[in-house]
Amino acid sequence: MGFRRTGEVTWEMAPEGGMFVPGRVFASPALFAKAEADRALQQVANVAHLPGIVEASFAMPDIHWGYGFAIGGVAATDVAAGGVVSPGGVGFDICCGVRLLASALREEDFRRRESAIMGELDARIPRGLGKGAVATERLLDEVLERGAAAAVDAGFGVPADLERCEEEGTSRGGDPGAISARARERGKGQLGSLGAGNHFLEIQVVDRVEDAGAAEAFGLAPGMVTVMIHCGSRGLGHQVCTDHLADMGKAMGRHGIAVPDRQLACVPVNSKEGQAYLGAMAAAANFAWANRHVLAHAARRAVAAALGTGPQKAGMDLVFDVAHNLAKVEEHRVGGHSRRLCVHRKGATRAFGPGHPALPPDLRPVGQPVLVPGSMGTASWVLRGVAGNPAFATAAHGAGRMMSRSAAKKARDGREVRRDLEAEGIAVRPGSVSLLAEEAPFAYKDVDEVVQVCDRAGLAAPVARLRPIGVVKG
Amino acid sequence: MLRYRVLAHTADIGIAAAGATQEEAFENAAFAMFDLMFDLSGVEVSSGAQPPDECRVEAEADTPEELLVAWLSLLLAEAEIRGLALCRFRVEDLGGGRVAGTAGGVPSEGMVLRGPPIKAVTYHEAAVVETPTGWEARVIFDV
Repeated sequence: MGFRRTGEVTWEMAPEGGMFVPGRVFASPALFAKAEADRALQQVANVAHLPGIVEASFAMPDIHWGYGFAIGGVAATDVAAGGVVSPGGVGFDICCGVRLLASALREEDFRRRESAIMGELDARIPRGLGKGAVATERLLDEVLERGAAAAVDAGFGVPADLERCEEEGTSRGGDPGAISARARERGKGQLGSLGAGNHFLEIQVVDRVEDAGAAEAFGLAPGMVTVMIHCGSRGLGHQVCTDHLADMGKAMGRHGIAVPDRQLACVPVNSKEGQAYLGAMAAAANFAWANRHVLAHAARRAVAAALGTGPQKAGMDLVFDVAHNLAKVEEHRVGGHSRRLCVHRKGATRAFGPGHPALPPDLRPVGQPVLVPGSMGTASWVLRGVAGNPAFATAAHGAGRMMSRSAAKKARDGREVRRDLEAEGIAVRPGSVSLLAEEAPFAYKDVDEVVQVCDRAGLAAPVARLRPIGVVKG
Repeated sequence: MLRYRVLAHTADIGIAAAGATQEEAFENAAFAMFDLMFDLSGVEVSSGAQPPDECRVEAEADTPEELLVAWLSLLLAEAEIRGLALCRFRVEDLGGGRVAGTAGGVPSEGMVLRGPPIKAVTYHEAAVVETPTGWEARVIFDV
């Protein structure tokens, strides 16, 4: 691919063929070399073919080969100029994201009750296949319209939680009518379930604070135990994407659009099909916000039960909840003018800087918390949004895979990976031991390096590093 | 002839399924999808299986690749809704912009997952091609 280094952590490819804009990747030389090893860079170039795309087809430092968009891909299209929305730029797991809770416990408190806490979480967090879920399906319609707010009304969590969610836990415009019967059927028994694959609930300790002021504003302090939840919209979201991708394949021709990869199927935001997708996507996103909310409630109860106290004594306050698979219409400045853009973030996190009106008043002076989970067994990070972000207020979403699942399984089996983790002092409760091998730490890039690049590229600034001490996996 | 082989992908999983006919390649692609999640060797479904252990799907689309993705996507959704590990597949009609067939399976509850649940079937690099020995259906799953 024709990328060349244009800055310390910036690589660019000039438009070729049908590319409307350049491709631009934020990476250190080592991370860029990993991106070159698979087809991720070709995917960055492919996304530059989307009609209405402005400025560049971006990729975050955790870029890797996906389907359609690269994972870590960011594309903004100008709505008024016929800009498109592409379900492939959101992915099947609509509004997959991360939620972080700050407990009142310290590591020694956790160690004293480790077996009880892990046992309660193991019993109360539904995961893997099957219909186990925390909430009943009666909530489904409310949730599709109002997301986490509907879950709060139903008795899960507290109203103050909503201030600490991106979009306040509700994607506006959620249209349950745009969701197929099949999608509803898949989702109805899954509200409050983790899923499997790379999804997890993790117990962590704040082991380093890089920005004391921001950490304090976020409610984080050195030595504090935190709980991180990573999951999305389950079968309901997967089906919404499947349904609309099939429809858009046919609709593209009617709109005179051609793309280099069928998975990038797209239509103008301001078209009947575009609006139908965005309504269904928002409803699926609402399912995901509520799913993480209901799971957090279960985690709060699990920890309280293990400690034999009320939920208040365990703390477990919400630090923040972010999505990393979503398309949203946002105002951004392009060429000196404010434009309404449809910003696709596929494996990338919104990162609003200080002063942004969408942030709650207590976080506005600091910037948005950005959660970057590492791989199982390695650190995760809390960052903050900064002014002047060069990629439509977006930062990385994780460490990023670098090894295929089959290669990871060949390297070490699940039992060995479990032993490795336990030797590091990490308690493990897997849904399936054999799946642990696929998510082994060595299958992922170095999350510390990803965060360093985010900082150097002006995408987001590090606030605190979190070290894992317990993992509940699907 | 091997029913399928796994194609390397950094984050997801690809398969190439073989068949003497296009229909058989589609059936083997479906087998591969569930065999990646559950080890299907030794899993039997009684030949007289009736609903809910058997399901029927059909779809219309313009190209063989679109039909392949539609066939697999429908089976994946049916299996999740019915709580089944599907293991026996029969394509009854393929061509003229249409695919129709049936699948049978066993309850997935309690079965050991040997791979991550497949979330969806992607169009990325999907292909249905003729080979010297028959047909090959290639597809990448999102996991």
